[in-house]
Amino acid sequence: MAASALLLAALLAAGGRGAAGREGAGGGRRQDRVPLRPLLPLQVSMQYNPGWNNSSVNLLHVRAVGPSDTLHYIWSSIGAPAVLLVATESRSSALRVNWTQLLSPAPAGAIWIDPPSSVVYSTAVVFTKVFEYSEAKTLEELFYPTYDLSDFSWDSINHTLNHTALTAEFTGVPATDPSGSFSNGSLAFRVTAYEASGRDGPLPSLLHTANSSKVEFVLAGVAPRGNSSRFVLEVATVEETGVVQRLRSARSIDDEYTPTIFEMLSLVAESQNDSSALSFLQWKATAYGSQSPRREDSIQCRSRGLQAANWTLPVSGIVHAYFGEGVGSTYTISAINISFGGEDGRVYQEKRYLSWSALLGFGQPPKDTFSPLVISIMAVALGTPMVMLLVGSCVVLFAQRKRYSEYEPIN
Amino acid sequence: MAEEERALLASAGGDDGGGGGGSPGPLRALPALCDPRRFPHRLLVLALMCFLGFGSYFCYDNPAALQTQVQRDMKVNAAQFMALYAWYSWPNVVLCFFGGFLIDRVFGIRLGTIIFSIFVCVGQVIFALGALLNTFWLMDLGRFIFGIGGESLAVAQNTYAVSWFKGKELNLVFGLQLSMARIGSTVNMNIMGWIYSRVQDLLGYTGPSTLGLTLMIGGVTCLFSLTCALILAYLDKRAEKLLCKEQGKTGEVIKLTDVKDFSLSLWLIFVICVCYYAAVFPFIGLGKVFFIEKFKFSSREASAINSIVYIISAPMSPVFGLLVDKLGKNIIWVLCAVITTLASHIMLAFTFWNPWIAMCLLGVAYSLLACALWPMVAFVVPEHQLGTAYGFMQSIQNLGLAIIAIAAGMILDTRGYLFLEVFFSACVCLSLIAVVMLYFVNHLTGGDLNWSAKEREKLQKVAATEAEEQERLRRQNEDDLAKLRPKADDFSLRNKYLSKLGAQLPDNYSSCLSTMVHRSVLK
Repeated sequence: MAASALLLAALLAAGGRGAAGREGAGGGRRQDRVPLRPLLPLQVSMQYNPGWNNSSVNLLHVRAVGPSDTLHYIWSSIGAPAVLLVATESRSSALRVNWTQLLSPAPAGAIWIDPPSSVVYSTAVVFTKVFEYSEAKTLEELFYPTYDLSDFSWDSINHTLNHTALTAEFTGVPATDPSGSFSNGSLAFRVTAYEASGRDGPLPSLLHTANSSKVEFVLAGVAPRGNSSRFVLEVATVEETGVVQRLRSARSIDDEYTPTIFEMLSLVAESQNDSSALSFLQWKATAYGSQSPRREDSIQCRSRGLQAANWTLPVSGIVHAYFGEGVGSTYTISAINISFGGEDGRVYQEKRYLSWSALLGFGQPPKDTFSPLVISIMAVALGTPMVMLLVGSCVVLFAQRKRYSEYEPIN
Repeated sequence: MAEEERALLASAGGDDGGGGGGSPGPLRALPALCDPRRFPHRLLVLALMCFLGFGSYFCYDNPAALQTQVQRDMKVNAAQFMALYAWYSWPNVVLCFFGGFLIDRVFGIRLGTIIFSIFVCVGQVIFALGALLNTFWLMDLGRFIFGIGGESLAVAQNTYAVSWFKGKELNLVFGLQLSMARIGSTVNMNIMGWIYSRVQDLLGYTGPSTLGLTLMIGGVTCLFSLTCALILAYLDKRAEKLLCKEQGKTGEVIKLTDVKDFSLSLWLIFVICVCYYAAVFPFIGLGKVFFIEKFKFSSREASAINSIVYIISAPMSPVFGLLVDKLGKNIIWVLCAVITTLASHIMLAFTFWNPWIAMCLLGVAYSLLACALWPMVAFVVPEHQLGTAYGFMQSIQNLGLAIIAIAAGMILDTRGYLFLEVFFSACVCLSLIAVVMLYFVNHLTGGDLNWSAKEREKLQKVAATEAEEQERLRRQNEDDLAKLRPKADDFSLRNKYLSKLGAQLPDNYSSCLSTMVHRSVLK
């Protein structure tokens, strides 16, 4: 498996935008690089509970077929909501699910890709818990009972499925809700798959490639349990050994697409051998407190240090089903906390709405570049005075010569 | 010293009314502080004059100092926030033509000052009330009323200065007033956030009422300025009685039909002025949050860096005034200032370099531009049109500020800071284009804007000998009264405008000039 990961690393490093500049940095292996995902439109299809005619559980299979490979995204709310990302080097690789085993208490091996040899890389992202705490003036943090997302009951996503826009929404409420916080609200994960690269319209307008999908974490109407409550989402990733997770925080001068947000964070899975990026989870350091986000609805978003998690992963059906019993030993788990709310948690208090978007995908995370508008404005603005200076000098010279020649005939 | 003052005042009294006969004899018994002819008293008047404008300068930048709080508590976006600045500018698009008229013909300086101070106070109170009642349109209204008073109050302040200090100390007085204005802005930037946090501690929560209360406390400075206006009116009245001194007048004449006679050079100067100031003041208005969000500054640091432009320009203005005066070549100086400003905006837009560098550059460039740009108007406009030219300049400057302020807010909301900075850079580039054009137009038409001081000196010598000759003739024919009238040559004209900037000119150069009241355009 590790070897295949390395192969993929080589494959992936060539794809994406920054590939050209990275040539020559590696060893001989890079000769045979083929872009895993050319930036061409690809065929993306969504399938709900393949092979299971029941909507009591949710499993969404997004299959993106490229010229010579297939990407599988398997979203599920069996246990904690999670997504499996599997890259295969075959156009015909398919997802197989043994449903009776998957829904049994021992699901290991219930999900696999056929043929197994086509798999070059696989990883999983699990959304495990939502914490709620309030920071009193004495700087003590008061934590309320945690919402464990594996104990939630999730609605069927069947009716939210949109096969043209490639979106789906997992909505859930706690199975038991003693505080009644969820009586008017819900927690949801909105999933969007992409056929081609581009940029989202609504904020935070993340740039995406065909190698990625978007997940949006939405808290709507959930009553906070304190006066200045803040929420924290715990995200865990499952990686093969030989792959390390790194949290990269890039401060960019370009906040054109996400006004006033300069920080882009990405959790990148890198191959330990040549530190090429295999997969990523990328987000801007902001969440929004409105369904139609505007700049002023921005809610500060911070991430607390990435940790290697030694604890056993909360039951996420598909992660166990795919990775088997090796989770925690053959596979490493890291977790990161993403907290929402700045100095005071008031934006959520007022709006009762929070949405946080992140992009997950294979290869290098996409990078923003200046928009043509900015470049052209600067070019015109700086160019015009220069041109005028030149033209002006010519005119002055010409005028002087003319003046001089006017006097000549006198002679 | 006191002897000199007395002599000065006596001559001024004689100059104004010709009523020097009103016996000043019994005054000698007054203590120094109460005697309008003595230095301590005039010092008192000077202090009052400086504090007269303090309130309005303090409150003008209240929104900038409390941007985060205003936006959070009133739940407004950047465009609505910047409308607070636009509403200040709107009345002045029209009013700057009438400020002088109102003071001279309608109210008189004393009543005028009090009325404008009351406008400032009422405006600030309504502004604060709007926050207290959580109605944003009321805050806009407050800023509108505040704007009616603010700009005209500056005109009145300068008129007072002319009427009390014409002669020797005028430049110094103007310099002090300008410094006081800067101090007002600086103090505001650095103290309002602190007041807000104290009020927050007091009330135990943040919200519109916290903001309202903070602005009310800020409004105390306006009340203080109003008190100064009242005392000043009393002292002025008293001095008038005791010394038979006339009420100060702006003496400005504005004829809108003059506009058609404005030369291309003047229009280019207008363009430079509008585009340049539009890239400075709206930027400072939005600056605090920019430094917090882009450069991760703390609120206090952001306030400090946002006020650095004002801090730098206080001491630098006289220095640059002197420098430009000694060296001439105004267009080159303006060009340097504009290019430096462009560089600093580009630095802020495209780098994460320590913004103190860029802001200090901006502060220096801003002071240099003020010293080199404003006197140029006097070179290209005949004296009788100067009032109109400055009024017009102020008017379109306010128009530009209002429009650009709103545009800047909207750009920030939809496109973010990078685009905003690019927009400001484009504005500066537009003014750079105008400077380059001005240079060539001046060169081709043989204008005197870019002469060095030496060349000017040569011309001055010619003019001076002519003037001397004339003066001698006049002296033979006319009485002393006529002698004191300002000379009409370019040189003295120019000095009048240099003195507006607080530049320290040799005493014999200074002259009191009606249009000095337009110094308020410098903000």
